[in-house]
Amino acid sequence: MDNEVYSFALKNTLDEIQNICPDIKNSFIFKEDGEIIAGDENTPEKTIVKVIDSFDAILEKADAIGGVDSITLESSEGRVNVSCMNDLYLVTVTSKNADKNYVNTVTHVLIPTVLKLLERITPAPLKNTMPEPRIKPESATITENERFTEESEEELAIEEPKPLLRPEVEAQSFLPEPPVNQFIVENIGGLLVPTDTVRIDNETLSQWQELYEDRRIEEVEIETFGGQTTQCKVKPIKDSKHEGKGIIQMPEKIQTILEIKKGELVRVKPIIQ
Amino acid sequence: MTKKRRNEQEVTTIVEPIALEETTSVSSLRSNLEEIKNYDGVVGYILRNSTSASIDLRDPGKMIDYAILSSSAIDANQELSELFGLGNAKSVVIEGKNVKMLSLTIDESKVSVFMEKNADSAKILKKLYAH
Repeated sequence: MDNEVYSFALKNTLDEIQNICPDIKNSFIFKEDGEIIAGDENTPEKTIVKVIDSFDAILEKADAIGGVDSITLESSEGRVNVSCMNDLYLVTVTSKNADKNYVNTVTHVLIPTVLKLLERITPAPLKNTMPEPRIKPESATITENERFTEESEEELAIEEPKPLLRPEVEAQSFLPEPPVNQFIVENIGGLLVPTDTVRIDNETLSQWQELYEDRRIEEVEIETFGGQTTQCKVKPIKDSKHEGKGIIQMPEKIQTILEIKKGELVRVKPIIQ
Repeated sequence: MTKKRRNEQEVTTIVEPIALEETTSVSSLRSNLEEIKNYDGVVGYILRNSTSASIDLRDPGKMIDYAILSSSAIDANQELSELFGLGNAKSVVIEGKNVKMLSLTIDESKVSVFMEKNADSAKILKKLYAH
């Protein structure tokens, strides 16, 4: 399952929510960095972008109140509600006659359930295909995200460890094309940390290993979006709290070689021994 | 006695009607906020208009962040009400993990009240509208 399917599932959920709550006029989901995850069919992307822009300053300063749980904007003819769910923001626009409790109950049950379900079916669809780092200009977000999504989709298509080869073909030792994953660079340091080794999710390593059962995967090739590449050793992330977040822990030396720093995106593929 | 006071007011009203009205409104709002400040869980307020601002926060270190948050919330409400054709913007409640903020515009004054999460924002809103 890729990002498109993930968004499709959420979009359908939003449409269904509107079917059972006709008082919801618009609904959509976005991430804190401004990436639009899904929107109902009534809301043009342009409108969603404007809303995200309006909330930008609030979300930026929300640390002062411990981050945003929810925002409710009341107007004479309706209400805009924003709820934070699993690091995603669900926005609903309702008419003034809408039953606030009913709308909240429906959205707060359905969306988290679907998110949980999608998370189980596909553990990291949004994490391995993160959009560009937050430092990029807001106005470019949508276009850039679209580009990234397209790229990610292509890569995910390669990533999927599909049984492409029949047994008799496999016997001829044809190897599938190495999958390419995207990761966000995270620092790793310390006295005992080898400077020639990066660490990534054990799950990704296991998926690669499944793909090349009789081969050892001890090294990876890392490519930056600026075109720099290097090869280095790879090991699984030690600390479980960093697992499943789509990060690659990288010593400073390798970051210097690649001319990148923490928070930037890189493409990583295994080197088959 | 009452009659005399009313006469005084009438005289003043003739001299500078708008200014008096605004002053009365703001001072009434301020006295309401002073009362609200003593409600359970309320941690402070920001009241500002085009000429002045009153800030009373339990943690003054957060003054700038709270002020920006307050202003952003009121602006967002205005923008989104127009965008979705929801009529006049009334109030905004932002629930944070630690603190809740209620913001609204009354006449020309922009008010934000900061409170703990379990505080009753509906009661505060009612009190503010009753000024």
